[in-house]
Amino acid sequence: MRRRRIAAGVVAAGLAVAGLWHLGGGAWIYAKAALAQVLLEGSWERTQRGEDKVRPWPWADTWPVARLRVPRLDVSVIVLEGASGRTLAFGPGHHQGTPLPGRPGNSLISAHRDTHFRFLKDLEPGDEIRIEGAAGTARRYRVTGAAIVDRRQARLAGGGDRPRLTLVTCYPFDAVVPGGPLRYLVFAEAAERI
Amino acid sequence: MTRLPTDNHLPPMAPRTVLRLGIGLIVGALVAVFLLLWTAVEAGVPLPGKNAVTPAKMQRGGLLFRTDEPGAFLPAPDLATEARIRINGMVARVQVVQHFLNPHDEWQEGVYVFPLPDDAAVDHVRLLVGGRVIVGEIRERQEAKRTYEKAREAGQRAALVEQERPNMFTASVANIGPGERITVEIRYHQTLRYDDGAFRLRFPLVVGPRYIPGTEPEIGLVNAVIVTAPPRVPDAERITPPIRHPSRGMANPVHMRIELNPGFEVAEITSPTHAIKTTGSAEEGFTITLDGDAVPADRDFELVWKPRPGETPVAAVFTEEEGDGTYLLMMVTPPETEGAPRDQALPREVIFIIDTSGSMAGTSMKQAKLALGMAIKRLSPRDRFNIIQFNSVTSSLFAAPKAADPSTVRRALAYTAHLRADGGTEMLPALGKALDGKKDAGRIRQVIFITDGGVGNEAELFRVVTDKLGDSRLFTIGIGSAPNGYFMREAANLGRGTFTYIGSIDEVQEKMEALFAKLERSALTDLRLTLPHGMTAEVFPQPLPDLYYGEPLVIAALVDRLEGEVVIEGRMGRTPWRTAVPLTSPRPAPGIAKVWARRKIQALSDAVHYGADRQAVRDAVTRVALTHHLISRYTSLVAVDVTPVRPENVPIAKRDVPLNLPRGWVYGTVAGEQPTGAPQPARFQTGLLRNAAYALPQTATPAQLKMLLGALALVLSGLTLWLYRRRA
Repeated sequence: MRRRRIAAGVVAAGLAVAGLWHLGGGAWIYAKAALAQVLLEGSWERTQRGEDKVRPWPWADTWPVARLRVPRLDVSVIVLEGASGRTLAFGPGHHQGTPLPGRPGNSLISAHRDTHFRFLKDLEPGDEIRIEGAAGTARRYRVTGAAIVDRRQARLAGGGDRPRLTLVTCYPFDAVVPGGPLRYLVFAEAAERI
Repeated sequence: MTRLPTDNHLPPMAPRTVLRLGIGLIVGALVAVFLLLWTAVEAGVPLPGKNAVTPAKMQRGGLLFRTDEPGAFLPAPDLATEARIRINGMVARVQVVQHFLNPHDEWQEGVYVFPLPDDAAVDHVRLLVGGRVIVGEIRERQEAKRTYEKAREAGQRAALVEQERPNMFTASVANIGPGERITVEIRYHQTLRYDDGAFRLRFPLVVGPRYIPGTEPEIGLVNAVIVTAPPRVPDAERITPPIRHPSRGMANPVHMRIELNPGFEVAEITSPTHAIKTTGSAEEGFTITLDGDAVPADRDFELVWKPRPGETPVAAVFTEEEGDGTYLLMMVTPPETEGAPRDQALPREVIFIIDTSGSMAGTSMKQAKLALGMAIKRLSPRDRFNIIQFNSVTSSLFAAPKAADPSTVRRALAYTAHLRADGGTEMLPALGKALDGKKDAGRIRQVIFITDGGVGNEAELFRVVTDKLGDSRLFTIGIGSAPNGYFMREAANLGRGTFTYIGSIDEVQEKMEALFAKLERSALTDLRLTLPHGMTAEVFPQPLPDLYYGEPLVIAALVDRLEGEVVIEGRMGRTPWRTAVPLTSPRPAPGIAKVWARRKIQALSDAVHYGADRQAVRDAVTRVALTHHLISRYTSLVAVDVTPVRPENVPIAKRDVPLNLPRGWVYGTVAGEQPTGAPQPARFQTGLLRNAAYALPQTATPAQLKMLLGALALVLSGLTLWLYRRRA
């Protein structure tokens, strides 16, 4: 009887530890996403004052390149350079090799569907997106449409003369398991300068 | 009335038992879900944290975009190449030695994409390191790859040689220690080409950057999304190694040594591509080396030797006994071709296709324009012609072929003079436009294709050739310092024409004259082979090709005995032609069995372009390749040293060895605009040259999954306690 009690206790404790570990791990992902944005404010301000490649913390391999605002949804996020998994944990990532947001051509920005780009599902054609660039420049974009594509069969084209944005996140928004092939894309085109 | 069994008929269960059973089931289900989710988190699902790039995991494509700090990924192993070539009669035995040197203080894996002749029968690889020799084994491709990867992870030295295209191979060498040198020796047999009274050996030294066609550039039409069919070149990543920026100097010095035993008196030995030094004589053999120490691997090497007049062998038979039978290689030169009449009987329709893509920019385009101009001036007023040019788009001089009168010729020459090379290499529409699939006995239709063949979608193009050839004949002219020999030969082979190389501006005149002789004279057609009575043989190629002026018939066969004579019949225009070759006094020569097997593999692979079942071809090729110990598309050579050398906890970095840009190419036109201006190795952009296309990233976190898993574990924990309490 004693043995059984110990066994049950060990099983329960083990499960509890594993449960807390994973709960914590999940929560940490959200906390990191939110916290990083707060920490980024400082380096973004320095970037706007004209400093180049301000690393938010000494070991960072990325830096802020723009702030993305959606007035209607009260969204404001700082966009980082590069779209590696590590960068996307902290904020939306601008794909190196595509033009910087605000410049002519198609700028590609990706973020996680369950953190920074959760709001993409609420964007509607005609919505305004504001991009504040590095040296205090700003540009307004209008959402022109959205699409759901299979990443195995879709590629995004760069090029073009007008500044354009393509915001990318995973689809469906409420899937629990990450890693699916579908992507939700929102397209926006530059309106006149503010 | 039948009575349905109901609960009443089962023995009654105690409520406690039902409860226990239910709880047991629920717990079981929860545990199952828990385990399922756990495995999903730990293994199946790529987590952002795990995607973080560590050098050992760095993907090939990652190289291009991690260029913020110049030099971040430059320390690839240094490489030097030696080629030792022994030529006996019609077969060359070549040993390519690649020295990988690791000048850095980390462990490295070197990955090097290199060319070989497109008919190379590669049968041997050895790994030489620290006085040890490890001989490679032939394995089914996936199996070889697994063996190699296991050895790499275990810290053992290993080499893997894989075929990407018949003329493009990848050598991977794992666990090169800091400051260490590892040597990989690759050996192959190759048949020599005899044409126009000269033997030729081509040894390619660099893989010209290949264009990977993607989708049409539909920017701005559908919101910048290009939705493509499954990729047209599934292995694009493997065949587009980084290219060294010219400002970084040349990599990979090459040494060469050739021993030549021609078997006849030689009038001259020359190389149109490199300065060479020749010593020796026909009796004791010649030794040919490069003048100077080494050359950079930036263009093909070609050696040409001509027999003295009257020394040309009319027929030669070489044999090798191996295992189950006798293998023979036979060359027959139709003597009548010397005096073959000019074919004036039928008017010709000549369609020129000229490649004006970015890879042709520079000296290649000058050669191509000169060659095209010569061909246009050569047309007779009875002929009809058209010019099709292609880069990212296809366009033509006339909407339909026109008679070559003075005014159309003038227009064509002006059109040619204004051709400019830039953009992609979308070859498919041009080829489709030139080949009309029609048959018309009232004319001879010739398609002359001037290109460097710098494409990765060969299979797709070959399919168009076989589908739409009709009675047209396709002639390829390979331009530039490193043309894609596989494309040139195979397109001409399937198109029942012939191929020509023009390596430099000085060669244009001579090579075009030789081609005109082929185009304007009757070909030897409807060739048939009759074996001695009672002999069984497996002969390649099958069917026999048409022979153009100056070309010999070369066949390889596996026969059950050697006796009697082989009779070859055909016709030249309306004149019948016949010759008999005795099999009674063959010259023994090593390597004939491998050459035969290589030709069989080619014949099997060609069937795919005619719609044969891929899986059946794959099985057949694998069988032949394993039997004859040859590398093929489906078999690789792998060598593994049993002793681990890399300490277990020290990481290994994978490095692609960047290739030189072929001589005469213009860097900017093939590499496109780079994300940074720094002289980094470039990759050919997939699909679009200047408007690079971007793949979509992974954009979901496993946070919800983890939290769900956590909550589930907590519930299970509580349930365990509760269950235990109840019982107690």
